[in-house]
Amino acid sequence: MTERRRFLAALALLALAPPIRAQHAGTSPAGMSPLPTVPPAPTLRLPDMDGKLVDLAAYRGKVVLVNFWATWCPPCRKEFPSLARVRKLFKPADFEVLAVNVGEDPDTVFSFAGSPDFPVLFDRDSQAMERWPVRGLPTTLVVDRQGRLALRAVGGREFDNPAITAQLKTLLK
Amino acid sequence: MRLPALSLLALVTTAAQAQVTLSATPLTREQVSAFYIARGFSATAIAPYAQACVLSFEFRNAGRSALRYRLADWQAEDGIRIRPIAEWDAAWQKDGIPHAARIAFRWAQFPAQQEFEAGDWIMGMAALSRRPSGQFRILARYHDDKGHHEIVLDPLSCAND
Repeated sequence: MTERRRFLAALALLALAPPIRAQHAGTSPAGMSPLPTVPPAPTLRLPDMDGKLVDLAAYRGKVVLVNFWATWCPPCRKEFPSLARVRKLFKPADFEVLAVNVGEDPDTVFSFAGSPDFPVLFDRDSQAMERWPVRGLPTTLVVDRQGRLALRAVGGREFDNPAITAQLKTLLK
Repeated sequence: MRLPALSLLALVTTAAQAQVTLSATPLTREQVSAFYIARGFSATAIAPYAQACVLSFEFRNAGRSALRYRLADWQAEDGIRIRPIAEWDAAWQKDGIPHAARIAFRWAQFPAQQEFEAGDWIMGMAALSRRPSGQFRILARYHDDKGHHEIVLDPLSCAND
């Protein structure tokens, strides 16, 4: 990619970013929304950054926050650091974060995220995402200890904000 | 890199209905092309999209009720509509665009329909079916448990290239 292309790509992302900054200014942090029917979580079995298959079913008994994202999505990038922060607030035996990247490769993700403490999974053909109630990025769902979809957030959040951590604590009781 | 962002901020058109806010930012052909070329499109392949009037929408539900919209219910003037993602994807498939590029395109678009709970919001790009000759407006419809609502984005214009 030429320097000019890099500049233009960055500019394109910045063009998307101003409304986000403007809209977030002065607003209180939003929580997540309970799913009224609490359906079973769809299958999620994808490779991580090392190519090792990770299966959501292996986390049964834990509360799992599943975040669908991409590096080119400005609100995804903004909320990404809060995934690591919220993970640190709870015991590993009780809570996990799975970040599902859509359509990109490990090199692209590594250049943005490095090696986070939580698994980053790769849904290269977006087939996993098709099975989940996701229509846009970012979308985040919380799976309860029984493997059911309990909470959903469409659009960026700060996952360590008090409203969301209180919701997670309730699920962990 | 801050200065270009601030100058673009002036082009944002925002409208609100109660606690629901919709904004649109026109994107230039170069911005659109650069974004998709970086995702695997060739300059030639993405040209029809980049040369359309592309807007970055942001839709935010800061109210207390869930709301639903369908992009097919939104109207611009003079028969101009927002071209559905499926039509673009059919063209990309016909042109042999790489699958990864098509996935990035699809998920970078403003969703064709969505249900927002309180606090939800979404953003994404969308292209009009043809470029309006001058300023125009978009009538955006959504509904919640109180009925049907409209937000009018006015005035809007395509980015100057």
